[in-house]
Amino acid sequence: MANIIEVAHLSYRYRNGEQDVDQRPALNDVSFTVQAGEWLAIVGHNGSGKSTLAKSLDGLLPFTEGTITVGGIKLTPETVWQVREKIGMIFQNPDNQFVGATVEDDVAFGLENRQIARADMVPRVQAAIEEVGMTEFAHREPSSLSGGQKQRVALAGIVTIAPDILILDEATSMLDPQGRRDMLELVRRLRTNQHLTVISITHDIDEAANADRVLAIDDGQLVEEADPATIFAQGDRLVQLGLDLPFTSKLQAALRQRGITPPDGYLTTAEMEAWLWQSLSNT
Amino acid sequence: MAISFEHVTYTYQAGTPMANTALTDVSFDVPDHGYLAIIGHTGSGKSTLIQELNALLKPTSGTVHVDDFTITPKTTNADLKPLRQHVGMVFQFPESQLFEETIRKDIAFGPQNFGMNETDANQLADEMLTTVGLGSSFADRSPFELSGGQMRRVAIAGVLAMRPQVLVLDEPTAGLDPRGREEMMTLFDQLHREQGLTIVLVTHQMEDVAEYAEQVAVMRQGRLVKFGTPQEVFQDPDWLRANQLDVPRAARFAQALAAKGVAWDQLPLTAEQLADQLAARWPQRGSADV
Repeated sequence: MANIIEVAHLSYRYRNGEQDVDQRPALNDVSFTVQAGEWLAIVGHNGSGKSTLAKSLDGLLPFTEGTITVGGIKLTPETVWQVREKIGMIFQNPDNQFVGATVEDDVAFGLENRQIARADMVPRVQAAIEEVGMTEFAHREPSSLSGGQKQRVALAGIVTIAPDILILDEATSMLDPQGRRDMLELVRRLRTNQHLTVISITHDIDEAANADRVLAIDDGQLVEEADPATIFAQGDRLVQLGLDLPFTSKLQAALRQRGITPPDGYLTTAEMEAWLWQSLSNT
Repeated sequence: MAISFEHVTYTYQAGTPMANTALTDVSFDVPDHGYLAIIGHTGSGKSTLIQELNALLKPTSGTVHVDDFTITPKTTNADLKPLRQHVGMVFQFPESQLFEETIRKDIAFGPQNFGMNETDANQLADEMLTTVGLGSSFADRSPFELSGGQMRRVAIAGVLAMRPQVLVLDEPTAGLDPRGREEMMTLFDQLHREQGLTIVLVTHQMEDVAEYAEQVAVMRQGRLVKFGTPQEVFQDPDWLRANQLDVPRAARFAQALAAKGVAWDQLPLTAEQLADQLAARWPQRGSADV
């Protein structure tokens, strides 16, 4: 499959003023590629540089070293608008991304910006709102919605633009567990229906488990690149990488402390359950 | 009792056509030095409930007792200063309330506002910085140079500098990474165990409820629909799920094993409790090593 994103030797330093350049780079020589249709999770603790990376991809931060290519277009100040056409982005705090007075208005904003005729716009907005399951809220004020509903509305806005790439920048971290599960389920569905490439920046182990591949960033550098099971098998190092331990890893450790020896490596919940059931029945 | 609610009802904009009852006939007791978790879906009344604790909202009817303080519909604002010092409130994203030039000044602001002189307040600020795990070397820095998690610690130090006896926490770990979350929860646990603070925690994190809370209040549509120990409340996962509430990971896992035929004495709520019960019934302990 073709690479939809190519990042080569990307570095970034935050500036506090004209002269004052932060000595420690927020990103340090980061290179990776993303295949079209892939779900890539980027993990790292608070301050590791993962959000800086996400913002760089969308041209929100003007990096000085390295190159980013999105859908064959090299990201430069001249091409930034073309690149942004290809990327939809959802941020952490749903309250910071609303412009419309109603859900409908808000979802229409992107199309209005593109000067789409009203006759064309209305059905596209309705279809997008329906796609995210928010039809009954179409005339509500966004501020009256729950966090999870707000993120759905933000997703509907992205659906109207039909980008190739969806970037979730800790988009589920402020939601309650149910809202988080619903949103991940929706992203999974949109990914299939809209043929999206998904990049999710996250601390959430369940969100990372959805990915085909996980990149770990620490101190501005790419330190790990593997499938979720390989990443999850790393035990305590996961905490350093800004992830929680999977429940099965915690249980494995607790059992070892009690003289019981479960299999090594990462086990899914179903594998752990099967192993325990077999061991307990083995009398 | 540290906290006692007696038939507390609260109506927003009472007596107007906009009247909206957010709490209905809520009664419960939290013993001295207790640790209460409040859980419930968005809009269930959790935030309204905690604002009754320092009379940011006064009951429309009923009575709230917090240690020696009594809050009734008739309580006037003139009486509230000692209560506000006694009950420390950490709202969601408290770091957004930081405003001073230096961290020391920010933490010392509250105590000075309550009449402490600058020298004592500064000394207290340095002490609180150590309590929240940052250390007094941070005191002269700007709070806005810090990471999100560090800023939150400064905001919490500012609340602790009031020397509250009751600490109310509204989703204090939202938006932090797992390590930051654990450090934060450990800090509150220490304040509870070592300094005897009564803790009231509003959370969606059922793992934290299982790990730290001594009592759990479940809110739904402004009513208290369940109250008990975590053991009692989580004992009925089907009921919780019907109320759109989660159960801790370990309990969910134990339930799946129960469906296969493992009978638990008591539903385990943490990985440690689950491992204890598994070890107790393990057929040939450690045989895999032999």
